[in-house]
Amino acid sequence: MFKRSDESLIAKALEGDQHAWQQLVSRYQSALYYFGLRLLGSKEDANDLLQDVLMVLCRNLGQYRGESSFKSWLFSIANYRAMDVLRRRKYSEDEQSLAELADDSPALCQQLSSKQQQQQVRLQLRQLPAEQRLILELKFYQQFTFDEIASQLAISSNTAKSRFYTALDKLRLQLEDDHVEQSANF
Amino acid sequence: MSNNQQIFELWLDGKISTEQCKTQLQHAPEWLARLNSAMAIRRDANTPEFDAIPVFDSSALFASQWQRPKAKRSWWPQVSLALSCAAMLISLSPAQLQLQDGSLSLRWSNSQSELNAAVESALTTYQQQQQQWLAQQLTLQQQNTNSQLVLLKDYLQDELKRDQRSDMLQLVEHLNQQRQADWQYWQDNYQPIQASYRPDNSYYLTPTTSGVDKP
Repeated sequence: MFKRSDESLIAKALEGDQHAWQQLVSRYQSALYYFGLRLLGSKEDANDLLQDVLMVLCRNLGQYRGESSFKSWLFSIANYRAMDVLRRRKYSEDEQSLAELADDSPALCQQLSSKQQQQQVRLQLRQLPAEQRLILELKFYQQFTFDEIASQLAISSNTAKSRFYTALDKLRLQLEDDHVEQSANF
Repeated sequence: MSNNQQIFELWLDGKISTEQCKTQLQHAPEWLARLNSAMAIRRDANTPEFDAIPVFDSSALFASQWQRPKAKRSWWPQVSLALSCAAMLISLSPAQLQLQDGSLSLRWSNSQSELNAAVESALTTYQQQQQQWLAQQLTLQQQNTNSQLVLLKDYLQDELKRDQRSDMLQLVEHLNQQRQADWQYWQDNYQPIQASYRPDNSYYLTPTTSGVDKP
């Protein structure tokens, strides 16, 4: 089926076409929600972030100039709002939210042998500083290039890479420490 | 940028496989560790999410921002447009609507013949105006020439009179000089001779030695 481009949907939406707007929202709604869920750690915050970003998007839709991809432009808004939330409330590890995540799909947990390892990765990702976590999120989960990430965060490409490798190194150390702790518990 | 970083970023971009990357980085334990961490995150990223996305109806938000209420349909603009079109049509067509002496009449005229007549009339008027202007210019020119001729005649007459007067004065002066010269010459040459001249048979008595007066 022919898929309309984001730019075409935006142009239609700007003319008042509600169907185009709904298509645009449904195209990125899930990515934005899971982005918020991973970055902020709770469904309520993710939902708030989603609504917030959609409101900002709706108000500023006319300002999209097509200089970057729409997804990149949209996530630059989401990044800013998410970092704003994280700055306002210093994120503290919430065991309840982690348990909530773990309990969400028990059947899947049983099905996948590597689920526990993924839980560990997510847990350790949350221990990273917000800026480093955001870089890994944008690189692996949203699959942006370093240039796109740099553009979204208003930093240089080298700074983005530097943060990325620092985050990877820190994550590795945390995973190793976690593995040592688990072995000691056994 | 180191070679290992290049290899790692090629893997990140999906240009080489994980096995190729591992093989090339096997002597760089730091980069291998980064690769393992990245693989763990990528594995998680590739796992589908099953959390239900909360329903958020953004249509009201969109409607308030971008949808304008439809304007109430009014027939007046259409009526106005139609009347304007009709007026234009009537003015452009040969039909003529005349209100004269309390009666309204509609008549059709040949616009081409009227146009020709109007052009002809305009040309005639223009021709007459041009002829009048030329005649006026000719008259003015003649008057100017006449006045200049009169002035020239007066000037020439004055000059002629002045010359004649001058010539006459010179002539008179010349004649006077001539007469003066002649008189002087006569006095100098002929008067003494005349004074001494006495013809023999002169009737008039002149003193003589004899004392007899001649008759």
